[in-house]
Amino acid sequence: MTIKSGSGQACAACKYQRRRCTPECLLAPFFPADEPKMFQNVHRLFGVKNIQNLLKELGHDLNQKATAMKSIKYHAAMRNKHPVWGCMVEIHQLNCQIQLAEEELQAVLHQLAFYKQQHENQLSSRTADDYISDLQLGMAPPGNSLEAHSHYNNEEAGAADYNINYMDFKEMNNVVNSMCGYSNNNSNDNNLNSTVTHAHLVMQQPPLSAVEQQQHEDYSEMQPFFDNIDDSQSYIGCKEAYDQSSLSLESQFKASRHDVEEIDENELKSAAACFSLTSVN
Amino acid sequence: MASSSSYSNPPCAACKFLRRKCLSGCVFAPYFPPEDPTKFVNVHKIFGASNVSKLLNEILPYQREDAVNSLAYEAEARLKDPVYGCIGAISVLQRQVLHLQKELDATNADLMRYTSNEIAVHHQRRMAYGSGVRSYNPNPGYYSYRENPGHGSN
Repeated sequence: MTIKSGSGQACAACKYQRRRCTPECLLAPFFPADEPKMFQNVHRLFGVKNIQNLLKELGHDLNQKATAMKSIKYHAAMRNKHPVWGCMVEIHQLNCQIQLAEEELQAVLHQLAFYKQQHENQLSSRTADDYISDLQLGMAPPGNSLEAHSHYNNEEAGAADYNINYMDFKEMNNVVNSMCGYSNNNSNDNNLNSTVTHAHLVMQQPPLSAVEQQQHEDYSEMQPFFDNIDDSQSYIGCKEAYDQSSLSLESQFKASRHDVEEIDENELKSAAACFSLTSVN
Repeated sequence: MASSSSYSNPPCAACKFLRRKCLSGCVFAPYFPPEDPTKFVNVHKIFGASNVSKLLNEILPYQREDAVNSLAYEAEARLKDPVYGCIGAISVLQRQVLHLQKELDATNADLMRYTSNEIAVHHQRRMAYGSGVRSYNPNPGYYSYRENPGHGSN
């Protein structure tokens, strides 16, 4: 029989363990009596002793403890949902989404550069008369290239901002890749495993199966946790892979700008060579 | 002296750490080789050997290696970051996805603007060249400009 604590009801932890819930119970603030399943998941994965040790490690900061317990609950819930891969499912899906989005972004940037090139070609295909008349009338050369430069300056700045702190992508991807490779050989009727493996291998948008969609619905209460998460305090610091990808984006912008500058200069030179300029008095 | 069975099978990292005899049916042995003791130490610190053993016994044998690898990764993440663990990685990745999506939307909008601008400029040119003609003589030093005598005619 669980004796009620000061709050009037034994916490889910003490209820599960069938023991007295004292006011000093470490787990009571984090496992209310109306969430027995949450505690069962955590207990199954971590065990009471390990949770208590973890809370003791965090000292007296209540916010940190609350955040840690939220992450532990989510972790345990994911492991309960996916006994084999746990949180790696989510990580893998997000990696796939990132990869797809990056590829799409590169494709769109290529298209944009192509249209830019076409536009510049069209401008330079104006007849020499147009240049002369513009010069005689004191008009400036086409200003679109200047606008394009500033446009690309802005985009280049945006690309620099793209350099986000990221975890050790290589290490994580190695684990995920090795797991996917192993699972591919041994995939069973677990729909989620085969879905994730397939998505990883063909690099397509991972189709959310009914299981995954249900997972997202089930964990909708966890979303506010992610909205408030301050992962700047996370251990994640290495940004190797994303440095490379952001560098490639920046270099692409620089290359496009260089091409535009070259075209302008060459076209002007050829246009000037076609005729000699007469001074306008 | 009879040779001990432990000579042919060195104890796995788990049994070595727990200081117990590594039997032939040890559930940890295939996944915690003695060459990598850190793996089991991390997993044991966060999850506990008995919990891991129960978890492995609940899944099929061919899935156990994946499960152990994911547990090892999660344990390492939790040790590095006791507050967020691997959830921090998920959060960062989610934000990256959002950021990329925004970049993609902005770039697509640029592309749309550019292509619609191209169409507009092309249209304007067609209208402009229909109303006036500028002639050009490539002879150096000579330039003439004539308007089409018929306004608007083409």
